[in-house]
Amino acid sequence: VNYSPEEHPGVAQTEPPYLYPPYVSTQKRAPSRPLILLARAVATAAGPVFGHDSIRPSDADLTRQDSGEPLGERIIVSGRVLDEAGRPVPRALIEIWQANAAGRYRHENDNHPAPLDPNFTGCGRVLTDGEGRYSFVTVKPGAYPWKNHENAWRPAHIHFSLFGAGILSRLVTQMYFPGDPLLAYDPIFNSIPDEIARQRLVSTFDWPTTKPEQALGYRFDIVLRGSKSTPMETSHP
Amino acid sequence: VRRIPTPSQTVGPFFSIGLAPLYQKVARPDSSRTITVRGTVFDGDRKPIPDAVLEFWSSEDFARVPTSEDGTFSVTLSAERGESGKGPAKHFEVLIFMRGLLKPVYTRMYLTPAEALKTDSVLGAVPRERVATLFASKTSAPDQYSWNIVMQGENETAFFRFSSDDSSDQHPRSA
Repeated sequence: VNYSPEEHPGVAQTEPPYLYPPYVSTQKRAPSRPLILLARAVATAAGPVFGHDSIRPSDADLTRQDSGEPLGERIIVSGRVLDEAGRPVPRALIEIWQANAAGRYRHENDNHPAPLDPNFTGCGRVLTDGEGRYSFVTVKPGAYPWKNHENAWRPAHIHFSLFGAGILSRLVTQMYFPGDPLLAYDPIFNSIPDEIARQRLVSTFDWPTTKPEQALGYRFDIVLRGSKSTPMETSHP
Repeated sequence: VRRIPTPSQTVGPFFSIGLAPLYQKVARPDSSRTITVRGTVFDGDRKPIPDAVLEFWSSEDFARVPTSEDGTFSVTLSAERGESGKGPAKHFEVLIFMRGLLKPVYTRMYLTPAEALKTDSVLGAVPRERVATLFASKTSAPDQYSWNIVMQGENETAFFRFSSDDSSDQHPRSA
């Protein structure tokens, strides 16, 4: 299912291409002209700074945002956000969204005939701490069908959006679950040519953060491009 | 040792669940002068894209807006900035995410064409026939601009990559 290496043999590619025909929607949306090369230094926007006042405690616990508890397998997802040099990225805003345990999104355009859960919105937000650590509580999302190809199913996943040191650190990705048999059939996951990079999107089951009689732990560490600029370090010691 | 950055994946069609909390509220808290930019995002068949989300970045501003069912967006931005902290806004850096994009596109929106053309090294790197795609045009209403984005094909918006990017898109499409 690796499409791109055949086009560019011998080149390690850790990011998906824009055009990946097995993911049909890329065909009319991928840029077709050559991208214009710029030096990283010209992308200067530092981006927004988020404070703890912009996050409520319930934002990090998707099982306690409504009057009752959502159905499904409770999980704790945690990890660290690092830059390419391995340094923690503190106060990074993480936004997450996901389907419920039945594989249904609370979205008007999701027509999958699986039940909505009145106690599950599927939206979470959390800031990393001084060591780049984050944690949130949710339920394991279900797989869901899509119309990309015959009998197409997305593997269970949680969408992650992150703000790092600047615009080039911005990342939107998806976290998958270990051992999911659907990963082998998913063009979105398999659009990443490099096997090692692709596996970075698969969380690991984590015994130390698993809580007895409460929730299974999954670990998902994230590496953002770039690093904190000097002004950011001095203004936020 | 340099670590491999976590790869990007598409925002998919249901991103509003997670991204709406930061959608721009139309009424801005500050009293500084603002501009409004409206436009449409088009695909390679010139069809409007109803499930895109745009982020406008500058050193002093951040605004996130989704496209509507008809592919249009509207964003209100601070006009009070410049290289020296005074004068009108010169440009914004723009990230666009959507279903069907496995990673965002990066582009720029310029507001002051004549001035920017002379001094801006980024515009100097853009093929001449594509430069116009980066300029928002003033409308007849004061402080109102229009800027369309074409993802693919004729009049395709100039999109950029950065020097440490890997090479997966150097040859985006074989003829």
